[in-house]
Amino acid sequence: MSVLEQIRLAVSRLRTSRLRAALTMLGIIIGVASVVALVAVGQGTTANITSQLSSLGTNLLTVNPGATRTGFTRGAAGSANTLTVADATAIAGLSSVAAVAPQVSTSLLVVDGDLNTTTTIVGTTSAYPEVRAYDLWVGSFLTDASIEDHLRVAVFGATTATTLGLTADSLGTSVSIGGLPFEVIGILQAKGGTGFPDPDDQVLLPITAVEKYFVSGQSVQTIGVSASSADAMSQASADITALLRDRHGLAGSTASDFSILDQAQLLSAVSSVSDTLTLLLGGIASISLVVGGIGIMNIMLVAVRERTREIGIRKAIGARGRDILAQFLVEALTLSLLGGALGVAAGLGVSMVIAHIAKWPFTFNPLTVVAAVGFSAAVGVIFGVWPARQAARLDPIAALRYE
Amino acid sequence: MTAEPVITLDHVSRIYSMGRLDVPALVDVSMTVQPGEFVAIVGPSGSGKSTMMNIIGCLDRPTSGDCSVAGTYVDDLDDDGLARLRSRTIGFVFQSYNLLPRTSAIENVATPLLYQGVGRKERMARAKAALVRLGLGDRLDHEPTELSGGQQQRVAIARAIVTEPSLILADEPTGNLDSHAGEEVIALLRELNATGRTIVLITHDNDVAAMASRQMHMRDGRLVA
Repeated sequence: MSVLEQIRLAVSRLRTSRLRAALTMLGIIIGVASVVALVAVGQGTTANITSQLSSLGTNLLTVNPGATRTGFTRGAAGSANTLTVADATAIAGLSSVAAVAPQVSTSLLVVDGDLNTTTTIVGTTSAYPEVRAYDLWVGSFLTDASIEDHLRVAVFGATTATTLGLTADSLGTSVSIGGLPFEVIGILQAKGGTGFPDPDDQVLLPITAVEKYFVSGQSVQTIGVSASSADAMSQASADITALLRDRHGLAGSTASDFSILDQAQLLSAVSSVSDTLTLLLGGIASISLVVGGIGIMNIMLVAVRERTREIGIRKAIGARGRDILAQFLVEALTLSLLGGALGVAAGLGVSMVIAHIAKWPFTFNPLTVVAAVGFSAAVGVIFGVWPARQAARLDPIAALRYE
Repeated sequence: MTAEPVITLDHVSRIYSMGRLDVPALVDVSMTVQPGEFVAIVGPSGSGKSTMMNIIGCLDRPTSGDCSVAGTYVDDLDDDGLARLRSRTIGFVFQSYNLLPRTSAIENVATPLLYQGVGRKERMARAKAALVRLGLGDRLDHEPTELSGGQQQRVAIARAIVTEPSLILADEPTGNLDSHAGEEVIALLRELNATGRTIVLITHDNDVAAMASRQMHMRDGRLVA
């Protein structure tokens, strides 16, 4: 008996009890659909987080000052005033470093006409867009000249510009920042994303102007460093450590008074977390697939009991044990594979909807589909074999007498 | 007759074990059936005739003794071999028809050919021919529940002859039929016998048995006279 004949027999058989077949398949459909959808959600989340993190800057190292120490009390990391603009300038001289942008931040009231907002004011240098991966929407960015001359010019983040009603026409006009007039010279393109704080809600000023008018002292809160390449990041990190320890006069075993945060490390940590999450979601969904498989086994066992007489008749008119085995196995496989196919379709549909709502790119992963269909076929075989063997082993005489 | 017998039973016994109790259903039975015979095995219920039928039909094996069907010793065969022997040489007709439920007449008749590995087209053609021969040409697509008892039994006979078996085993084929339909079925069997097929008919009805060319009587698991 050919496989085609077996499939024809199975399909015609399942058609005689459509509702039961549909309900049995529903278990597999839900199982496969949830595996496909949840894995897609997990992968979408990973892709989303990765793209958000890489939008923070390419090959970004962040140098932060260390903690203050008063006697035995250690202050919060970054509270010390150990980093200076001069440190940043020295770091820029390293060969493993492409660009350096020191930052001094404060929070000030910004007023334009009758609109106002209190937002983050960042004093920085001309390398800031390169280090932090910003693009200019309109106007120009801070120049080295404007920094040297402590110019009162300002570049606005997209969100702040919107809040204050600034447009391309506002270039050259004056806004009040912390009570002093500043000229609007540029507006940044929005980065989007859901970072906190909002990366688009800030105003960039020359670092010299911020130090002159708003913040006293020469220390900076953060130095953003762009390494010359992705491979050079650990080299850059080591170079910076050596340079700053030397500059700060730290000998031998003294603890460093600064710390370096590696973007790549953060990225790999986050993506390993979300990979685990994907695995977890897929694993939970697999449980429902197993439950669906047990549903198939249950219905096949009932079918063997119900069709005992049919099995006896078939054996009497020439069916071998393996013909009966194949018949029931093919029925179980038909149920599980058909359910698997419908489940994949449903799962892809659901993950498309989720991707649309969550506004991340819909990623179609053929591996998930292959795995899900393969898994449902395995479920069909594993949970179909036992009932099928029961059927194949029936004694024809007893089966014929069975009422 | 010099031809090889279709059935040979040589001191065949069949004992069922019911827990600690051994129940002999067939005791030391020896007999032969020659090709072309129409034999009736007659006896009251419990006389062992169904056990006899199961053994002749290769659905069961003797506890002791030798049984050969169409020249093949049943003892030499495994379960698959028995299935093949049934498929090639024996056509069954049962008291309760035993048609496959929710399956059309033509599919029912074609099923034995399915297990012989005959292609679908040829299966359908041969099944149709068999049904037409039994006067059911207009009932091909009817399911068993849509047919009368006599019609169902004729479908069953069509299924038994579609493989051109040398032996037809009929177990109380008229038992569930009214007298008119019963006569029709017996007439059909005689007609098949006239075309050279060996027929073994099992019945408790002496009137039906009288239609056969030879009768064997059974009582308490033994052949009597």
